[in-house]
Amino acid sequence: MGVATVWSFFVPDAESFQKPGMARIFLWHFPCPMLAVFLLIYGAWCSFRIFQRVRLVPFEFGLESDHEEKVKWDLRSVASMELGYLFCLLTMATGILFSEIQWGAWWSWDPRQTSFLIVLLIYAAYFALRFAYPDSGKRAAYSGAYSLATIVPALFLFFVFPRLPYIKSLSLHPTDSILTGQIKGQYAWAVILILTLTTILTVYLFKMRVRVGLLEFELEKDNGQLENLGINSPPTGVVRPVRLPKPD
Amino acid sequence: MNSNWRREVEAVFRKEWQTEMRSQSGLVTGLLFSVVTVYAISFASLNASMTSTVVSGMLWVALLFSTSASLPRTFLAEEELGTADLLRLTGRPHAIFWGKSLFNCFQSVITGTILSTLYLGFTGKAIAVPWLFAVSLVAGCLSLAGAVTLCGAIASQASNRAVLSAAIAVPLLLPLVSLGVSAVRVSLGLHVKHEDVGTLADGIGAAIGLVGYAGATLATGPWIFAAVWKS
Repeated sequence: MGVATVWSFFVPDAESFQKPGMARIFLWHFPCPMLAVFLLIYGAWCSFRIFQRVRLVPFEFGLESDHEEKVKWDLRSVASMELGYLFCLLTMATGILFSEIQWGAWWSWDPRQTSFLIVLLIYAAYFALRFAYPDSGKRAAYSGAYSLATIVPALFLFFVFPRLPYIKSLSLHPTDSILTGQIKGQYAWAVILILTLTTILTVYLFKMRVRVGLLEFELEKDNGQLENLGINSPPTGVVRPVRLPKPD
Repeated sequence: MNSNWRREVEAVFRKEWQTEMRSQSGLVTGLLFSVVTVYAISFASLNASMTSTVVSGMLWVALLFSTSASLPRTFLAEEELGTADLLRLTGRPHAIFWGKSLFNCFQSVITGTILSTLYLGFTGKAIAVPWLFAVSLVAGCLSLAGAVTLCGAIASQASNRAVLSAAIAVPLLLPLVSLGVSAVRVSLGLHVKHEDVGTLADGIGAAIGLVGYAGATLATGPWIFAAVWKS
């Protein structure tokens, strides 16, 4: 990642920008919306898998393995939504900086900027809904439903809205820069390299987040068993102290 | 259509109708909101000449907030009155969603028609392409009803359900508003001098988008609702 960052300062400028010498933030801006879109779609897919489990076995009365499977899909869904939200924020931050340098205003109501702000709001609404349900089963089901319901509008905002003829005529934002050859040569390779490295980092972070979630779930499950045995059982099931094994 | 299924949808629609006629809260809230919004906009823009883009933007914002304030009540009221569990036991999820959506569509079209008539009357804006305006308004109202009904169902069991349902519905409906503004702007400002609203083809494209949005919302809504209704 460090080598790629250093290299990115030495590649020749891309002449298609308004101020080519000041457009290097594009190299870090470009992977963010790509990954945000992919993570949003993957989050919706994981939510779909939760519902497949719900249709087979009702959540509360399901077998242990079904319950665990559902928890895993919910964790994958929330991990991708969290990372997607992070990349959305990074897209906005780098985009605003790019806008100030290239177009002369921090916020110029460009259709791309505006549509991404709406996607950011969709992500925020997903988390608002998640926080509103204290019960884990309902939280998984209802936030998953919202994630599925938002996929069509989000895809519309990403892919259709900026390409509508009238909207496109109003936008300063470059579209299909690499595919149409506006960015080529070493600059294009630097973009692809940073995109690849960021994707690898995202996969690593995603796996870590899911693993942490599963460990939390396992800990909670063990604690529940202790409660059933009458060991370490407080009167309420809402806040339970967790007794960790002592190191040898 | 299966006759049992149709009877269930009709029963849910009739139940909603009777509940509304008894309390009249949804329609009154929607209409009151519309009148107040129209009055506020007209008052704020006194003597100012408003372009077609501004008029269509204001109209859709008024429609968005009026529907997101009144329509989620169909599900929220069930939880507040404690009748949701009975409904879960007696009806099939798809029929419940369709019954409530149809009622909300009906309510939304009425509110939209009254709001737009009042609004255009107050602003004195003429409609250049009436059929495009009508198609956009009806398709927009159907989309609003489908999406807001689903958001009401999703937020119905949360603690802060009334605020949450509107908060989660608005981001979902913003793409719809952008399409609605594009279509209505053309229907109001086509051939008007000194106004660049795009071509008739742009307006038709946006109206087709609205119809597609309504279709997508009403087609996927029951499926998503069925997955969460009994969880």
